[in-house]
Amino acid sequence: MSDPLEDPDDDWWNSPVNRRESIWLGLAGAWSVGIFAWMAGFTQFGDQNPIGTTYDVDPEQYQERVAEYKEAAEETEDGLVPPGDSVYVGAMRFNWDGLPAVLEAGREYDIHLGAYDVQHGFSVRPEENLNKQINLQVFPGSEWVIPMTFDEPGTYHVVCNEFCGQGHRTMHGRFTVVEG
Amino acid sequence: MSAITSLFRNDYDADGFRTCSVTGLDVHRSVENHVKLFGLTAVIALAVGGVFAFTVAMTRWEFIGFLDPGSYYTHLSLHAWNLLIFWMVFMEIAILYVGGPMVLGRKLPLRRLASAGWVIMALGAVGVNASILLTEAPNEAPLLTAYVPLPVSPWFYGTAIVFLFGTTIAALPFFATIWFETRGTRRSLPLVAFGAFITGIIAVEAILGGIAAFAYALAWRVDLIAAVEPGIYRQLYWIIGHGSQQINLLAMITVWYFLTHVVGGAVVVSEKVSRTAFVFYLFFINLGAAHHLLVDPGVSAGWRIWNTSYAFYGAAFASMIHAFAIPAGIEAGRRRRGQGGGLFGWLTSAPWGNPVFAATVFSIILFGFLGGITGVVMGQMQVNMTWHNTFAAVGHFHATVVLGTTLAFMGLVFFVIKTMFRRDFVSNTLASAVPYAYAGAMSIVTLMMMYAGILYGVPRRTAEVVRNIPGSEFSFAAAIPIFMIFGIFAVVAIASGALFILVSVGSLLFGDRLPGGDDGGLLPEGGLHADGGQPIHAVELRGTFTLCLVFLAVFIAIYVLNWYLVTQLWSIGA
Ligand code: HEM
Ligand SMILES: [Cu+2]
Repeated sequence: MSDPLEDPDDDWWNSPVNRRESIWLGLAGAWSVGIFAWMAGFTQFGDQNPIGTTYDVDPEQYQERVAEYKEAAEETEDGLVPPGDSVYVGAMRFNWDGLPAVLEAGREYDIHLGAYDVQHGFSVRPEENLNKQINLQVFPGSEWVIPMTFDEPGTYHVVCNEFCGQGHRTMHGRFTVVEG
Repeated sequence: MSAITSLFRNDYDADGFRTCSVTGLDVHRSVENHVKLFGLTAVIALAVGGVFAFTVAMTRWEFIGFLDPGSYYTHLSLHAWNLLIFWMVFMEIAILYVGGPMVLGRKLPLRRLASAGWVIMALGAVGVNASILLTEAPNEAPLLTAYVPLPVSPWFYGTAIVFLFGTTIAALPFFATIWFETRGTRRSLPLVAFGAFITGIIAVEAILGGIAAFAYALAWRVDLIAAVEPGIYRQLYWIIGHGSQQINLLAMITVWYFLTHVVGGAVVVSEKVSRTAFVFYLFFINLGAAHHLLVDPGVSAGWRIWNTSYAFYGAAFASMIHAFAIPAGIEAGRRRRGQGGGLFGWLTSAPWGNPVFAATVFSIILFGFLGGITGVVMGQMQVNMTWHNTFAAVGHFHATVVLGTTLAFMGLVFFVIKTMFRRDFVSNTLASAVPYAYAGAMSIVTLMMMYAGILYGVPRRTAEVVRNIPGSEFSFAAAIPIFMIFGIFAVVAIASGALFILVSVGSLLFGDRLPGGDDGGLLPEGGLHADGGQPIHAVELRGTFTLCLVFLAVFIAIYVLNWYLVTQLWSIGA
């Protein structure tokens, strides 16, 4: 009958499939496996992966760590120069603690992300090219360490892209990336 | 009052049955009246949510800047809950009753539960609205997600649980129907009933996850437990947050099979292939909830990749199967009747003036091209870094739930007005205009949302950032032109939505009653069943095949473009 409102014929499982539908099944199947392989493979050969190491940490403890880091960092007009390869960012309503910071282009830093109160979103882009941007979720209770290498000098703006309360839109920070 | 009771009146025989003049189904009063009840409630939710679509869109269009941040998030929460949850879920219960007892020609079993379910759902829905409106500092508006530990009113979590509980009760009569029908036999249900059944199972899984998530947050809000883990809440929450989107998807696909058949003369080209696709959903689709956690700390890359891909894209594959099977059903059905030659004659000669048909076909095309492709692309872990929480994500899900599901459901409401309420449209011209205006304007709105998010990095969920970020010299001012287009077409889209409500309510109140056997102009040329013609598997499905190749080409182009943008970024990650 081939009517979606009636029971199918008894041998519906054995009815032949249209040739073009079979070809489409092949194409769709190949595409599905292909994009899986690309995504999985990119973690091996690609340079842009949202992969780091997560540590459980009390929000207060994390705040202390950021305070120690700020203590050790050098203060300049454009922001903190990290004392080593670690950069600490503490998200709080409605401020990015530890920012602005001054980094060197071409140098790999471990960016430490954590929050003191609620969830926030770490969203970064260079000032002159808004379509280059990344977004990472930040939790209270987790310290997420993600390596990053900024290859181009310039100003990178950080906004919060997870709703964190009414002042959410004012949450802005900055990286100044200088020639290394 | 009498106007309302007359809405629930039809000519039934002594047993309470009548034969539908369009579908030929034996319809029992108990089923029909509950479908009407849930459907009408859904339309009320659509109207309420639509009002907030206006205030929300006119705030994001910072040229107007309608609301201050204090009320923006309240309005956004009301927009999301009334549309994504109440409009859709009330419709979906109606769809379960259509797909179960109505298609199978039965009475509605456990009628008391159906009514009780409606009452509990309605209480829950009113409660959620009230809890959002009455939110006071230090509590914040929940938005859709109510992420802990942002303080949200415990009343919100409580009333949301009430709504989910009511939904479960209301679904029971559907499951009872299927149970009675298949108990002790090896019967294969009709495809529409089968699709509804799979929808129902996925709904139950989603609801259990939702109750768990909200109960966990509620326990913390009323101090039963001392602390909550944001990561655990997010995992539980997305079982329903995404699960409810899977319900929307499956209900919509079931409606596609149903409506393309009854108003377009479509046939099922392969029961085996279409049913297998539904079973794939059952196995794999829930894994996809993980695609909301792709840039979260604390979840391993392997876990994210496996789950976001629904295990090698099992569910995306299933969707691509339906993407072929449904247009193919129209093509095969019409070619066999000799309607339309050439590559696309079957499509161009279709009943485009019938708003039920137009809404359904626009829903299929736009869901696929705008919603489906972007969903798979942004669901790849690395690409997600560039989409997550940007305005582009909002563009993606308006393409799925508005252009896809809402449009299909609008078609269904029009269908129900004619076939169950037995009313003619107050104006055929206006009714026919609705799908064109709504789909056209909303397509542009969603595209602008995607451009603003991907090309300019504009974040979602914020009252202002484009023209000004308070306390900062930085802003997203480069995106101003995009937002001008967005704003203008958002107004058109909302006006078209209002027209839909107007035509629907107007037809219910003032439309002429359709006489007994009248099909209201819904049936395809040549009636529902055309005899003869070649066997279906032998029909040349050239048109559908071509459309699907175009679809695949667009898919590949968008995929490559998005990956190109990813590889342009500075290097990130271990
Ligand atoms: C003309 C129609 C519509 C327009 C113009 C519109 C506009 C918008 C806009 C601009 C936002 C984003 C706000 C932001 O992130 O700051 C939004 C959010 C949203 N909309 Fe719509 N919308 C429409 C219809 C719908 C429909 C029919 C649904 C559901 C079926 C829906 C569901 C949502 C959801 C779930 C959100 C996200 C809320 C959140 O972030 O928690 N919208 N809408
Ligand atoms: Cu924030």
